[in-house]
Amino acid sequence: MKILTTVKRVTDPDMKVRIQPDQSGIVTEGVEYKMNSFDEYGVEEAITLKEAHGGEVVVVSIGPGAATKELRTAMAMGADRAILVETDADLDSDAVARVLAEVVGREEPDVIIMGKQAVDSDRSQTPQILGSYLNWPQATFAYKVEIEDGWAVVGREVDGGTATKRIKLPGIISADLRLNEPRYASLPGIMKAKRKPLETLTPDDLGVDIAPKVKVLNYEAPEERGAGEMVDDVDDLINRLKDEARVI
Amino acid sequence: MSEYLIDRRDMDFTLFDYLGLEDLLELPRYQGYDRETFEIVMAQAQRFAAEKLAPTNEEADHQGCRLEDGKVYLPDSYGDLYKEFCEIGLFAPVHSPEHGGMGLPQALGMALAEMMLTAHPSFMFLPGLTVSAAHLIEAFGTDRDIELYLERMYTGQWTGTMCLTEPQAGSALGELTTTAKEVEGEDYYQIAGNKIFISAGDHQLTENIIHLVLARAEGDAEGIRGVSLFIVPKNRVDADGKVTGPNDVTITGIEEKMGIHASPTCAISFGDNGECQGWLVGERGRGINYMFQMMNEARLVTGLQGVAIGNSAYQAALAYAQERKQGPKVTDRSGEQTSVAIIEHPDVRRNLMTMKAYGEAIRAMLYNSAYLSDHALHNEDEAAKTKAQDMLDLLTPICKAFASDVGFKMTELAMQVLGGYGYIKEYGIEQQMRDVKIASIYEGTNGIQALDLLGRKMRQKGGALFMTWMQDTNEFLIPLAEDEFFGDMAKEVDKGKNVLGEAAFLFQSTGKKDPEYPLLHATPFLRMFGLVESARLLLEQAALARTKLQAIWEEHGVESDDQEARDELSERNDEVLYYENKIKTASFFIYQLLPEARAMLKSIQSEDRSALDIKF
Repeated sequence: MKILTTVKRVTDPDMKVRIQPDQSGIVTEGVEYKMNSFDEYGVEEAITLKEAHGGEVVVVSIGPGAATKELRTAMAMGADRAILVETDADLDSDAVARVLAEVVGREEPDVIIMGKQAVDSDRSQTPQILGSYLNWPQATFAYKVEIEDGWAVVGREVDGGTATKRIKLPGIISADLRLNEPRYASLPGIMKAKRKPLETLTPDDLGVDIAPKVKVLNYEAPEERGAGEMVDDVDDLINRLKDEARVI
Repeated sequence: MSEYLIDRRDMDFTLFDYLGLEDLLELPRYQGYDRETFEIVMAQAQRFAAEKLAPTNEEADHQGCRLEDGKVYLPDSYGDLYKEFCEIGLFAPVHSPEHGGMGLPQALGMALAEMMLTAHPSFMFLPGLTVSAAHLIEAFGTDRDIELYLERMYTGQWTGTMCLTEPQAGSALGELTTTAKEVEGEDYYQIAGNKIFISAGDHQLTENIIHLVLARAEGDAEGIRGVSLFIVPKNRVDADGKVTGPNDVTITGIEEKMGIHASPTCAISFGDNGECQGWLVGERGRGINYMFQMMNEARLVTGLQGVAIGNSAYQAALAYAQERKQGPKVTDRSGEQTSVAIIEHPDVRRNLMTMKAYGEAIRAMLYNSAYLSDHALHNEDEAAKTKAQDMLDLLTPICKAFASDVGFKMTELAMQVLGGYGYIKEYGIEQQMRDVKIASIYEGTNGIQALDLLGRKMRQKGGALFMTWMQDTNEFLIPLAEDEFFGDMAKEVDKGKNVLGEAAFLFQSTGKKDPEYPLLHATPFLRMFGLVESARLLLEQAALARTKLQAIWEEHGVESDDQEARDELSERNDEVLYYENKIKTASFFIYQLLPEARAMLKSIQSEDRSALDIKF
């Protein structure tokens, strides 16, 4: 089985993100980057499936040259080879999906496993858009994946509970955070990853026009959160949640 | 529970920008590595430290170790933790890749060790002692020893210990009474004797433990020259490493200690039944020499415990001081008496700044020592190799003693910042203080380090080591003294350097007629040296930070004398803030802490020998 998985290089979510004074973007100096945590679940699941069913895990990233670090990390965890589609541009979800569709056309995987969203932009769009471009079935927000006889049975997290969906492969699965516990890249794994193949392409090589369809007007920091309030007792809390917050 | 906090920015700056870790890639040993690999390794180690080690530290301290029916049991969390630690390959990151180590640079290994020691100081005794013991076997053992033990130890399949101390033989190891008797027709000796204070001396995590034991072979000289080193496995093994049965090694007790509760400190009896087999390492009578190779490495790790735990306490105090509100700001004239975070109060700021300055200085000191080790071990240019080894020899006692004392001091300052909340268990500071204290005591007490510096290292090669250090320091300071920005600071550090020279000269002249007098001042001299070396390192870092700043200002079109524009930039740019703080840190150290060195010179020059003359 050939499994394709994706990783995005994102700003470290533990860091304080600052907006440029002209609101054109975020301050990138001194910012740490890491692998999108939802993609870590995707990579882990891809490797687990390979261990169970055999085959190959190909990991893809679209981003700057420095994203080789995230690709190497995925290979150190156990992915077999990597493809970097190199660009310094900030792509919208549609452009990402079109780039991936081309990669999929070349690689012809049996299944695609990707994070449900990136923790920097939090859009949660790419798996779904990719599904429509490829005309493949999709099972999003997976907390459990089983593959059998060319079908994937996927436990999904949905509003108010869980649902199970069976999709015919090839198909797309997007990973939620309860799917697994991503393994550590072991030091021997990291050394081995240096010798695994990493192919670098550009959007041009794939014939994709990455000009954005979504126009970003400006960036604004969210309002500072006000101080919390101590309530007297549980009844008070329930009443306030009911009457003021109207969440129950 | 206390949070896992490390200053990754300063670690990265020290490693990659200040020391230039990437330069090491030119050494043949490290060809094939690259920065990306180093960064991935650091990220994994940090994640493991944060997710696995740190969350179990407090509970392990609480649970401690116990001895039942002659077997030592470690905290419950250790079983899984140890297994995962071995699997991830962090057991021997810098040791020989041919034998199961990872072959990474020593300097990188220091950073990895800092991450893990910060998270769980007690646990790290297990891998720490094991790789030290294994490295000794690698350096001096026979082919059989290497075949049998090395890979098993570098991968954590078996652990190791160092058995030096006996009840009557601590700092004076020559007085040990453990014996080794040749056995006719066999390649082993029969070992008999009692050892105490053996860290990681027993546990049930692995099927064997390899003890390295100092003992006197029958017929050999009294004193240190008759001491040999033996490999004594807890369980006997056949040629394939399969355990065949016990080797007459008995655990007779474990100590109740002030700190590092989750590391078992054992009393071990060898050969109670005359059945304990030990294999000689190298030649007879050379045990101490072999042990010293290991001790020098272990001394650096001990200094690093000061770096890790001290800095961790600083981070906790900093976070607390930013949250805790008490009292209005002294300059608040509004009459509203609004409480502010205690970090606004000058006395708290002084404590925090003292910790920051000490913490960054000793981090630079220890990482630098590892960087010197890399060159001393692997540089193919003989002159560079020798020079690195010389500087390492000179600085090792300072790294060990100054950093461990300062690390302890930092936990004390941190506790002061937290006040009553520091003294109770909740924030973890009291555990840090208990855990770090041992670092000033074992691996040669800090008093012994001071004697090593003054009596041995300062005189080594006829004083050439110290002269080289002076020369290098001059080469850095002389041009900087002309610098508009750093000139005054450079002059202060130069005065500190001269103070050291004066003290050394005074010891030389008075020592001839009064040999006790220099020894009376050995500890202050080591501290003076530590202060001056700290100031030198911080000033070098500050000069580099200034260069980095100028590049960023230029890029943003900010003039270096436009304070407003600079402040505005540092407000929204963490890089700028870090570099500006680095310069302030150097300035604080040089003007607030370094002057102590001059006061110490005064006390040395006094020729007051009342501590020697008094009748207690």
